[in-house]
Amino acid sequence: MKITLFDRDNWNEIGATLARNKTRTFLTGFGIFWGVFMLACLMGGARGAEDMLRRNFNGFATNSAFLFAGRTTLPYKGHQKNRNWNLDNKDVERLRQMCPELSTITTQSVNSNNSFRNGRYTFSGSVWGVEDKFTDVMLPTIESGRFINEADNSLGRKVAVVGKKVINEIFPGVTDVVGREILINGISYKIIGVAYQTSKITMNDRIDNVVMIPRTTFQRVYNVADKVDAIMLVGAGKTDMTALEDRFRHIIYQNHTIAPDDKGAMWYMNISEEFAKVDNMFAGVTFLAAFIGLSTLIAGIIGIGNIMWVIVKERTQEIGIRRAIGARPVDVTMQILSEGTVLTAVAGMSGIVLAVVVLAVTAMMTDTPSFQMSMWQALEIFIGFLVLGTLAGIIPALKAMRIKPIEALNDK
Amino acid sequence: MITLKDINKTYFGAVPLHVLKGINMHVDKGELVAIMGASGSGKSTLLNILGILDNYDSGEYYLDGTLIKNLSENRAAEYRNRMIGFVFQSFNLINYKNALENVALPLFYQGVGRRKRNALAMEQLERMGLADRAHHLPGELSGGQKQRVAIARAMITNPSIILADEPTGALDSHTSQDVMQLFRDLNRDMGKTIVIVTHDPGVGRQCNRIIRISDGRIITPDTDIRPTDSSDNNTISCTCV
Repeated sequence: MKITLFDRDNWNEIGATLARNKTRTFLTGFGIFWGVFMLACLMGGARGAEDMLRRNFNGFATNSAFLFAGRTTLPYKGHQKNRNWNLDNKDVERLRQMCPELSTITTQSVNSNNSFRNGRYTFSGSVWGVEDKFTDVMLPTIESGRFINEADNSLGRKVAVVGKKVINEIFPGVTDVVGREILINGISYKIIGVAYQTSKITMNDRIDNVVMIPRTTFQRVYNVADKVDAIMLVGAGKTDMTALEDRFRHIIYQNHTIAPDDKGAMWYMNISEEFAKVDNMFAGVTFLAAFIGLSTLIAGIIGIGNIMWVIVKERTQEIGIRRAIGARPVDVTMQILSEGTVLTAVAGMSGIVLAVVVLAVTAMMTDTPSFQMSMWQALEIFIGFLVLGTLAGIIPALKAMRIKPIEALNDK
Repeated sequence: MITLKDINKTYFGAVPLHVLKGINMHVDKGELVAIMGASGSGKSTLLNILGILDNYDSGEYYLDGTLIKNLSENRAAEYRNRMIGFVFQSFNLINYKNALENVALPLFYQGVGRRKRNALAMEQLERMGLADRAHHLPGELSGGQKQRVAIARAMITNPSIILADEPTGALDSHTSQDVMQLFRDLNRDMGKTIVIVTHDPGVGRQCNRIIRISDGRIITPDTDIRPTDSSDNNTISCTCV
C-alpha cells in the first residue's frame, strides 16, 4: 500500500474537494479557528494574569515565616500570665543551632516616629534595624549605592539605607545622595544606599518610607540591648514551615520560660501558607481557563464531526462512483479523514497565529512579557486539536466506508 | 469470459423478493451482448452482480476464469478496478474534476503516478476524439461528450469486460447512435467484451447477441446468434455487423 501521507496526488485530491465548496469549508474552518484562538488566548492570558498578580510578591521569599513576641496567656514556673517578653539575639543563636533546615535567620527591629532631617527639610517615619541577610527575606530594589553588609553590623557603623520617598522629601532635586549625611533624631548617619520595593507585601511599612540601619547600631542607639522585634526565617528548599512551628515555639519558649502550650505568647506568621493560598487561587484561575477553553474546543470538534457527516451524506454518489471504479474502503476512509485533518490543521494554525498576535499586543500594553504562549503550549493545543479533529472525522469516515457503490449509484 | 451457473439472488425486505431465479449464461471473449428486459425483470441486479457491485446468494460466477464469490470489500474493489469498466446511464463523472482527471481516476486507485496516469488518460481521450476537451469540467460538456469521457474512463485500465448500464438512456437518438458506434468499434477493433443492459431495442439490435431476462429468468436460450422474428417490435433481436 502506498503511503498516502506523502503522496502529492492525495493532497491534490484533498485540496480539490475542500476548494469545491468554499463557503462550507470556510465556515467549518472558522469554528475550529475560533476554538483554537479562544483556547490559546485563555491559556496564554491566564499565565499573563498570574504573572501580573505574582508581581505583587516580587523579591519576597515565598517559603518564609516571621516570629513576633506577644504577651503570655498562661502562668508558668512562678511567672504570672500577661507577662511581656521580647525576642532577642540569643533566640537567633538558638534557632541557628537547632534548625539546620533554615537557610536564613535574621531579625528586624522597628522604631516608629523618627524625624529625618537634611538641612531645613524634614520627614518622619520608621527606622529599621536589619542585617545583610534581610535581603534573603525581602529583596529591596537598590536604586543607588548598596545595602547594609556584615561589616556594617559587626562594626556597628552609623550608616543608613534610605527609602526613596524619604530621599525625595528631604533631598529634593538632589541626584546623588550616596555618601551624604542624614540626621535621624539629631544623630548623623552616612547614606550608603537608596532603596524601594516593587512588591505589595509590607512589614510595618513600605521600604520607600523607612530608613534602615545596621541591627547592632539600632540596638545601641535605641537602647534596646539585645532585643529584636521580629525574627525572620527562610526555609531551605522545600522545608515545610508549617511543620516547624512547634519546634520554633519550643526553642523560643524554653529561652524565655514560657509554658510550652501557650500558643498566644508568640505570633507565628507563616508566609508560605499565604503563598499557598495565592497559589491555589492561581490554580483555580488556570483550571477555569482550561475548562472554558476545552468546552470551546469540544464545541469546535463536534462542529467538525457534524460538517463531515453532512459532507459524507452529500457526497454519497461521488463516493459510490469512486468505489465502483476501484477505490477500496480504506481509500475512502483516508480521504474523508485527511480532509478533516487538513481543515483542522490550517484553521487551527491560523487560530494560534492570531492568538499569538493578540497576546503580544496585550503583553506590550500591560508591560507583562508573560502574556504569551510557549512554543510547547502552542504545539500542545495544535496537536490536541489535530488529534481530536481527526477523531471527529472517524464516525463520518466510517459511514463513508460503509457506503456500498450500488446503493450510492442508485441514489440518483 | 463470463460464466454464470444457477445464480440466485433474493432481497430480504419486508417481503422477501426473489429477483434472480437460477440464471445460467455465458459470454465469450470478444462478444458484444445486450441484456434486455422490462423494468423489474432483474436485469439491473444481474448487471450489479456481473459488476461485482452486489453479492449473490447461490450459484457460481466466473469472470475471466476467476470465481467471483464472497469477496472481501478490498478484493472486490481491486477486481472492479482491474477487470471491469463501468459505463452508466447518468455518466457518473465527478463534477469538480475535469475530463482528464475523471478518466485518470481508476489509475489513481491503482497507485499509478500522476504523470503516467495523465498521459494514459490523454491517450484515451484522443481515441474518443476529446483531446481538446481534456481540461473541461463535466458541466461544460454535452451529454455525448460526457458519455465518451465515461467510456474513456472505463477503458483506461484495459479491463476484461465493459459493463454498460443503459449507456444511451440519457442521450438523444443521434448521440445514442454515436455512442453505440463507439462500443461497436471498441468491440470490433480492440476485441473488447462488452455487456450492455438496455431496454432500448435499437441498442439491442446493434449487438451481436441479446440475452432476454424476464421475471428473474433468462427467456431466450443461451445459444448462438440467430435472427428471430417476433410480433412484438420491442423484442426483436438480430445480428448486425
